[in-house]
Amino acid sequence: MNISPEAIAELKRRLREAEDTIRAIREGEVDALVVGLEDRAEVFPIGGDVDAFRAFLDAMQPGAAAIDGEGRLLYANAVFAEMMGAPLETLRGRVVASLFDEAAAGVIAEVISGSEGCRSGLPLRLQAGSAPRDVLAAAAPLSLGTTRGVALTLTDLTERLRAEQLERSGRVAAAIIASAAEAVMVCDLAGIVTHANNAARAVFAGAPEGQPLAQIVPLEFVAPDAPCNMAEMLRRAMAGEAVQGLEARAPQGATAVDLLVSAAPLIVGEAEVAGCVVTLVDIGERKALERQQLLLMQELDHRVKNILAVVLSISRRTQRHTDGIEQFMGAFTGRIHALSATHNLLAEKSWAELTVGEILGAELAPFGLEGSGRVVLHDLDRAISPRAAVSLGMLFHELTTNAAKYGALRGDSGVITVSARRVAAPGGLVIVWKEQVSHAVTTPVKQGFGTAVIAQSMQHAPGGGTEVAFETDGLRCTIAVPGEDTL
Amino acid sequence: MTELPKTKKLVLYVAGQTPKSLAAIANLQRICDTHLPGEYEIDVVDLRQNPKLAREHGIVAIPTLVRELPVPLRKIIGDLSDDEKVLVSLKVEG
Repeated sequence: MNISPEAIAELKRRLREAEDTIRAIREGEVDALVVGLEDRAEVFPIGGDVDAFRAFLDAMQPGAAAIDGEGRLLYANAVFAEMMGAPLETLRGRVVASLFDEAAAGVIAEVISGSEGCRSGLPLRLQAGSAPRDVLAAAAPLSLGTTRGVALTLTDLTERLRAEQLERSGRVAAAIIASAAEAVMVCDLAGIVTHANNAARAVFAGAPEGQPLAQIVPLEFVAPDAPCNMAEMLRRAMAGEAVQGLEARAPQGATAVDLLVSAAPLIVGEAEVAGCVVTLVDIGERKALERQQLLLMQELDHRVKNILAVVLSISRRTQRHTDGIEQFMGAFTGRIHALSATHNLLAEKSWAELTVGEILGAELAPFGLEGSGRVVLHDLDRAISPRAAVSLGMLFHELTTNAAKYGALRGDSGVITVSARRVAAPGGLVIVWKEQVSHAVTTPVKQGFGTAVIAQSMQHAPGGGTEVAFETDGLRCTIAVPGEDTL
Repeated sequence: MTELPKTKKLVLYVAGQTPKSLAAIANLQRICDTHLPGEYEIDVVDLRQNPKLAREHGIVAIPTLVRELPVPLRKIIGDLSDDEKVLVSLKVEG
């Protein structure tokens, strides 16, 4: 049998090809085989069909990709492509590291290498796509037919981190609200209180959450140009107008009556009004101080007039009992000094640790009545609180001045008796100032400032007050010192 | 003026998107771009779409690259990851 050289060469070529095919199969360089007869040939993948794996990859929620041993991307799902900001078909066969910026590529390389410390994934920031996003990159070994590689997943953490950030911000805001001394409440767009701090609960004596703020405690605004009510104020705030520092009264409130009210829109997101924030500051103390200051100003004005009347009275009395200008000057100067000393005594001691007797003595000292028998005192060695001492000082001052102008100290024969006694209920002290005069006493037609001060004294606490009676033989004033002011 | 057909032609037989098929496509593209720019006309044939074509060139294992032109026909089996081996095979004339 003769075989041509060409035929031998062709046989050798076929032999080489067959050997090459077997070697490639043995060494895993191919991953599919064609099997079957001429007209029924079929392609079979080696090591299982990858379609199932691809379908699984497509269904995964995170971005997922299969990467071969040389770092090339074999498959990826649509989420992965979207994260890369590139069409899916352009990614196949590309070296994965080239899809990321330098920093992210370093993280991806570390994750793919499977080094210690990145088993549970490493965070990275993707700059591709429409907006930066934070992802957790993780990798696991993968075997696809004859190919060894890794499965890379990118889990988008952006929303979760944003939610955590919002939650953290919410906790910070809640802590700020809780720590505020002012009453702070947050309302939704319907005016329903959604958040309130402890100060707010104290103002409203309960939990205002879930209730319409405008109805919890009706407010009466003081300024004429202020909103007519809380509902109107909330409406303005939710329309974007910040309403700041309006004085209002809450006569039905649990504690605070005088309030400084502010409301501002609650803005979340970009200029989106989600409700409003209302703050209520208790200005009751401030208003009380303002009222007291006004009273003190009136008192100061009145005292200047009174002191001049007292000086005039002292002058007249001294004149009646002295001979000659020198004797008058000596006696008069002494009494003026006593008047000044009285003022100093009360000012220096700040009205603290004083007894009823000391307060009365300071007021009477300028009249020089010691040993005259015209002032009779009983049981006045009773200590009282500084608050009551101030009131009692004003009261004695008015009574003394009144006595000097119209009563027992006007002439030479009047007598004043002052006595004190404790009462069991309500546990206070009753002081009786009684004048006895020789001239007729009439009830004044007009009530002056001094009379008003006397009538309104000691009313700062339960059980306190005064009663004035213009008896025919002289004025009687009964003073009840509240139990909490007696020491 | 019409462009003359290239006298060098490569046909890469793949099986859909198996890992080796994808790797072979990427490697062939890279080798041609780097070492043989413009020299070859390249066809990629998916045998899963048309298995009958496997018989025409006696394709058994996938991926396989066939140099159809210039003759003689030559085959390179595998994912073409060895640049040197691919280049040697393509440049051998006889």
